Amino acid sequence: MPWPVNRRLIGRSHRRLDGPDKATGRAKYAFDVKRPRMIFAKILRSPHAHATIRSIDTAAAEKMPGFRALHIIKKAGADVFFAGDEILAIAADTEEKLDDCLRAVRIEFTVLPHYVKESESLRSPTNTAGGAGATNIVGVGDLATDNFAEVAFNGAAATHQGDYGIAVISHQCLESHGLVAEWDDKLQNLTVWASTQAVPATAERLRVVFGLQPGRVRCITNYMGGGFGSKFGPDIQGETAAHLARTARMPVKLMLDRAEEVTVGGIRPSAYGNVYIGAAPSGQIKFYKVDCYGTGGTSRGQTVNFGLLPYVYGPGIPNIKRKHRVVRTNIQISRAMRAPGHPQNAILTELAIDDLAAKLDKNPMEMRLINLPPNDSADAAANPRTFPGMRATIYRREIEIIRRMCNWDQNWHRPGAGQGTIRTGLGMALHTWGGGGNGPNPTRVTINANGTVLAQSSSQDLGTAQRTVTAIIVAEILGLQPSEIMVDIGDSSFGPSTGSGGSTTCPGTSASTLKAAETARDAFLMALAGRLNTQPAMLSIEPGVIVNRANNNQRIPFRQACGMLGVPSVQGNADWPTVPDRAQNAALREEWQTRLTNLGVGGVQVAEVKVDTETGVVRCSRFWAVQDCGMIINKLACESQVAGGVIMGINYALYEECIYDRATGRQVNPDMEFYKLGGIQDMPNIYVHMMDMPERGVIGIGEPPTIGTAAAVGNAVFNALGVRVPYAPYTPERVLAALANRR
Amino acid sequence: MKNFTYYRPTTTEQAVSLLEGRWGNTELLAGGTDLLALQKNYIAQPGRVVSLTGIAGLQTIVVGQQNVQIGAGVTLARIADHPDLRRLFPALTSAAGDIGGPQIRNMGTLGGNLCQRNRCWYFRDEHSPCLLRGGNRCSAIEGENKYHAIFTANHRCVIASPSTLATGLIALGATAEVLGPQNRRRTIQLANFFNAPTGPNDREHNLAPNEIVTGVTIPVRGLNNAAYEVRQKQSSDWPIVQVAVAFAGGRNGEKATGVKIVLSHVAPTPIIADGANRAVENRAITDAIAVAAGQAAVAGAKPLSQNGYKVRLVEVAVKRALTIAAGLPRYWEV
Repeated sequence: MPWPVNRRLIGRSHRRLDGPDKATGRAKYAFDVKRPRMIFAKILRSPHAHATIRSIDTAAAEKMPGFRALHIIKKAGADVFFAGDEILAIAADTEEKLDDCLRAVRIEFTVLPHYVKESESLRSPTNTAGGAGATNIVGVGDLATDNFAEVAFNGAAATHQGDYGIAVISHQCLESHGLVAEWDDKLQNLTVWASTQAVPATAERLRVVFGLQPGRVRCITNYMGGGFGSKFGPDIQGETAAHLARTARMPVKLMLDRAEEVTVGGIRPSAYGNVYIGAAPSGQIKFYKVDCYGTGGTSRGQTVNFGLLPYVYGPGIPNIKRKHRVVRTNIQISRAMRAPGHPQNAILTELAIDDLAAKLDKNPMEMRLINLPPNDSADAAANPRTFPGMRATIYRREIEIIRRMCNWDQNWHRPGAGQGTIRTGLGMALHTWGGGGNGPNPTRVTINANGTVLAQSSSQDLGTAQRTVTAIIVAEILGLQPSEIMVDIGDSSFGPSTGSGGSTTCPGTSASTLKAAETARDAFLMALAGRLNTQPAMLSIEPGVIVNRANNNQRIPFRQACGMLGVPSVQGNADWPTVPDRAQNAALREEWQTRLTNLGVGGVQVAEVKVDTETGVVRCSRFWAVQDCGMIINKLACESQVAGGVIMGINYALYEECIYDRATGRQVNPDMEFYKLGGIQDMPNIYVHMMDMPERGVIGIGEPPTIGTAAAVGNAVFNALGVRVPYAPYTPERVLAALANRR
Repeated sequence: MKNFTYYRPTTTEQAVSLLEGRWGNTELLAGGTDLLALQKNYIAQPGRVVSLTGIAGLQTIVVGQQNVQIGAGVTLARIADHPDLRRLFPALTSAAGDIGGPQIRNMGTLGGNLCQRNRCWYFRDEHSPCLLRGGNRCSAIEGENKYHAIFTANHRCVIASPSTLATGLIALGATAEVLGPQNRRRTIQLANFFNAPTGPNDREHNLAPNEIVTGVTIPVRGLNNAAYEVRQKQSSDWPIVQVAVAFAGGRNGEKATGVKIVLSHVAPTPIIADGANRAVENRAITDAIAVAAGQAAVAGAKPLSQNGYKVRLVEVAVKRALTIAAGLPRYWEV
């Protein structure tokens, strides 16, 4: 095994090294950066959901006190396609003067028709969202399995047809999008402090925009205040800040305000579908048919993960027919959000399975055990550590664990079987994700003569675990404690790194961190051996000491050994193997991709809800999650990551929805007041069990733990009430409507 | 935010002397939980802001034998936690304790709660048509209105009244003490305090632009009282509907008299549910009576396209508020 076999630190629980800094405000985020002479910028946005800009008059604004610079994004004659679309930006001395400047700009529009409701846009005879196409429907998927025939529906013991869906939601990052941009005097070097989940990519994009030589743009993201897939580059606001900073020759801060963050910071697409599903008397699902649509605003991309519908169970279902339409609307673009398409897939699959189970009078846990996707034998033969080859085994084990954790056999009842005003229900859902890492993620570990150890990589702290994970691995190899490792991350001057997307950060960086630490250790022992007149093989590292077998097992404290090096420092550098497709690299690649790290996880979640049948208010009262992530580095961080995913999922199950006004096309809740997010009182006790499968290597779990949560909550509501609430969020009005329909 | 001149007087008389005879150019600032957001969104654009935080006389709570006086500047947190108020007026203190979150309750004040602007999302978006901002139509009537009024007859603007202290104060028969120019003092029944606005020159209350509320006086009559609000979230949320009730007797099989049931978040002003009052008056409070009162409370409701569910919620909130005030088991808490 390429990881240490006896792991002193890896796999145990460690507190976040930067927790106190973040909690006390010592940690400085991009939003906190204050540079000398810094001025402020803001973007003037379209108030209309669809319009042509007739004219722009900035003369008055440019004469306002405090005005510093203007940057035009769209010229007269251009179209805007959503309320919030960028038109121009101004930089001014203070935020207050900036607002006054922006309000002095005069823009005339010709207002054009728009659609903000996907069901209406679906019927639109025209294209209101720009680009090619006669209508707003841009993507049509229409696929069926071989030999799919309506005859598959015959012979099913039970069938169910139902509508399911989930609304457009906002990324709602707590630290909004944006950056502080600062040029040097000669306008040749640009430094940005950005809120980004892709540090080098942000620097590179700005370098390209401004035609600068390599190395001339530096991006710094020491801490990161929330990103779920919407912060992979400088974006318009970041580029705009850099333009304004260059014009004004002063550092410019441009961070979105809350309303902007919600209206332009990225949405997750909606998904609505009609599902027809049937099973044999045994409970085995015989067919699954879905006709669904969704909107990602003006984006053209998928809203569900079409290839993975039906979700999780697809490989075991013989007849599948699916149709999907991407309907554009005059709202902002969608951004990949924490497992893009997967939560939507889970909604369109898991809820239908519970409805079908009810028709068969089957326990939904048994129903799932019957329909688990089988282990892929070819995959298992090729590599016994990959997920498809063992998925049924993993899910089965996880279901058994969660069954005991939540006492399913005692607590589950038939749908609607409870009594009283407050009804309790249990619901479950499964999920899967990739989470494999990749390169480049060069990491440098430096052991200094003064006894300090420094680990450096440009990778960002997206998931709040990165600093600590790096320290744990280095400390493991060097016989130290994580708190003894200095970790410098989030700076593009440290070299390339992959963006934190797809749950790839931990697997992408942990392997190179391990190799860099081992290389540094070897260099350290080599240098030390020279000073001790022995061979490196005679030296070994134990916690806190170097043991010299050549000298009566002399134990030299680590710090003292550093002082004996005779050089200022020794270093270890490592990165993913380059040119991975060359034959001679195949073994190396295999080691990095299936032993050091891996790909593919499964998880099982169970929600308990209490539904007030008089008010329709749903409260999630307890929640259980069992999650596999291959080899665990920091157990506490993993559990925390899972709990965070669950909290996010409960929010979009119960509270979150972007609400748009038909007449104006404007979002009416671009805030945290009526764009509802649960607080601590709204969250259940969350019980997490981590599967530790170290033989598989490190796999990321940024995404997986949020995928099935909303579906589990939806099924719990169904179990409590005996009636399906079709669309998330499961708000009081929707719950009461569903109850009224039953009566 | 438009620039403004800031004043911080130390007496109510000084504060009143700084006010003008028209709305808009001068605004009063207490906790700032409403005004600052309105200013940032350019919904309020005052040239002068008069802070009330320097007036010590607005910060007192006086508990007497006959009545209780609460200064307009007393924070919601103090009201919620005050032992005498909790004993005498749970309708008031439970409502105060439910408002927003701790940050809002530590800053927000009694006077601010009564005089705050409505929360309509069209009113608070300067780019949306709104009668109260001088527009020619109400966007909510045909638009997104799931949180708006359900008692809409004769209302061109369908905001939902936002104050949750108003219901308890009205039910308890409280009065507001008001100070105007030339030291002119007047007392307004809380029941007459509120106004359904229809245009930019209206506010959600009946004060003149150059008057301030200095406090409220609540008679001590030994009424059983309670408030109940239906809210979707427990952390920092607005009620969807809110109800306060007060009556004499009404416990242990005794008949309830002087029944007052007041609803909030259902109409442009808090409303006294006369039909519900009659359904309970001179009756012992039972589950059936509480249900009947809830049904009577919603007679005449004309919900909008998306808020019919609030009719049901009013019925439930009336029933639950009566249940609490009558000392019956809280069947919904399990």
